[in-house]
Amino acid sequence: MNHTMHLIRAALVALAIPAAHAAHAMNATDTAHLRYVSASGSLLLEEGRAAGTLPGSMRVHFEVGATFSGSFTIHTGAGSITGHGAAVPHGSGVYESFSGSLTVTGGSGRYAHARGSARLYGTFNRATYALLVQTVGTLHY
Amino acid sequence: MTRTRPALRRLLPQAAVLCACLAATTSARAATSATLSAKFTPEQLGQRSTLDFGFSFSTPTEGVPSPLIQIELRYPDKLGIALSGLGLATCTAQTLEAAGPPGCPRNAVMGHGQALTGIVLGSTIITETAPITIVRAPDEGGRIELLFYAEGTTPVTTRIVFPGLLLPTSAPFGGLVSIGVPLVPTLPGAPYISVISLTATLGPVGVTYYEQVGARMLAYQPRGILLPRSCPHGGFPFAAEFRFLDNASATAHTAVPCPGNRRRSGHSFRSINPLRGVDRNEVTDLLGRDGTAWARHVKYGSR
Repeated sequence: MNHTMHLIRAALVALAIPAAHAAHAMNATDTAHLRYVSASGSLLLEEGRAAGTLPGSMRVHFEVGATFSGSFTIHTGAGSITGHGAAVPHGSGVYESFSGSLTVTGGSGRYAHARGSARLYGTFNRATYALLVQTVGTLHY
Repeated sequence: MTRTRPALRRLLPQAAVLCACLAATTSARAATSATLSAKFTPEQLGQRSTLDFGFSFSTPTEGVPSPLIQIELRYPDKLGIALSGLGLATCTAQTLEAAGPPGCPRNAVMGHGQALTGIVLGSTIITETAPITIVRAPDEGGRIELLFYAEGTTPVTTRIVFPGLLLPTSAPFGGLVSIGVPLVPTLPGAPYISVISLTATLGPVGVTYYEQVGARMLAYQPRGILLPRSCPHGGFPFAAEFRFLDNASATAHTAVPCPGNRRRSGHSFRSINPLRGVDRNEVTDLLGRDGTAWARHVKYGSR
C-alpha cells in the first residue's frame, strides 16, 4: 500500500514539474513565408520569415511525399522554438494545400522549456518549392 | 430440334477451342514467376532523373500468366517524386476514357510505357503491344493518384484506364504505388487478357510541359525525379507484389546499384536550382515575380 502511495506521489510530482516551468501560456497565430534553400531527394530545407505572435526567422527541414513531415526552428529575439509537425496535402496542381498539426518540443532562451501544439495550414508551390505556412495554437514556456 | 443440330455442330469446334483455352490458361497458372527491373537515367546522385521500371512474368509452361489484377510497387525512400515538377495538372478517368491522353492537359502527363499482353486461343498465344500513358489524377482521399491509360488495337481493340494510388509504406521503401488492374475481356468465352510484361518511364523523358508567360505559351521539359545526395547500402531498393485472377501471387525485388565513387550512406543537402530543366542547351531565363532568375528549358516559342 505504501509502495502504491509512493508511486502516486512520484507521479504527481512528475506532473507538477512541467507546470512549474510553464509559467506563461500564449495563444499564437503566425504566418511564415519560406523559400527553397536546398534539397536531397524528397527532403527540402527552407528558410524565411515568420510574422505574427512570434515573429522571427524560420528554418524548416521537411519531406515531401505522400504526406509532409518535418522539423522546424523559429529564431525570435528572445530565444528559439523547435518542434516537428506533419500534414496531409490536399488537391493537386502547382499550388498544393495541406493541413496538419505541429508539436513544440523545446527551445532556448526564454523558450528553453517551451511546449505546445498547433494546427498548421498552408500551400506548397510545386514549381518553386515556396512554402506558406500558418500556425494557430498554444505555447507554454 | 433438327434446326439446332447444325448450330451445335458449328459450336462444337468453338467449344473445343474454348476448353483448350481454359486448359492452357489453367496450366499456366501454376508458379508464375516475376522479374522486376529499374534504373535511373541519368543516375547521378543529387541530380534530376527519369525512372525506368519494368516487370515481366514467366510460367513453367508456354502459356500466359493468369490475368493480372493488382500490383503493389514499392520505391526507395527519399526519392523526390513529389518534387519532380511532374503532374502539375490533373486529368480524370472519365476524360481519359472518353478522349484518351490528348483530352488531358499536357502538364498532367508523368510518363509513358508499353505493355505486352497475350491471350491463348487453342494452342496459339496471341500477343499485343499496348502503349501506356501515365497521368496525374485528382487526389483520392488525400492520396496522390496516378492513372494508367493503355490502348490496344490488334487483335483486341480496347482502351483501359486503371488507377495507381501512392501510399505510405515501411522502410527501406519510401512509398508504394497500389495499382488495380481491370480485367479486359477478349472474345466471348475466351479468357481475359493477360499481362506478360510492362515497361514504363516516370520522368521528363518524352514529356513536354507548357507554361503561360505573359502572352506566350512556352514549352519546357519538367525537372524530373530528384535523387538523394547519398545512396543507400545495397542500392536503391524496389519491390513489387503481383496478384492474379486465380488468387496466385508473385513477388520480385531489385535494386539500382549505387553509382561508383559516390557517397554510399549518410545524408547531406546540396543547393540546386529547383526550376532547372533537363536539357541545358536551350535554356531561357525567365524573371520571376520576386526578381529571381528562373532558368527553364524552352524548346518552342509557342504551343
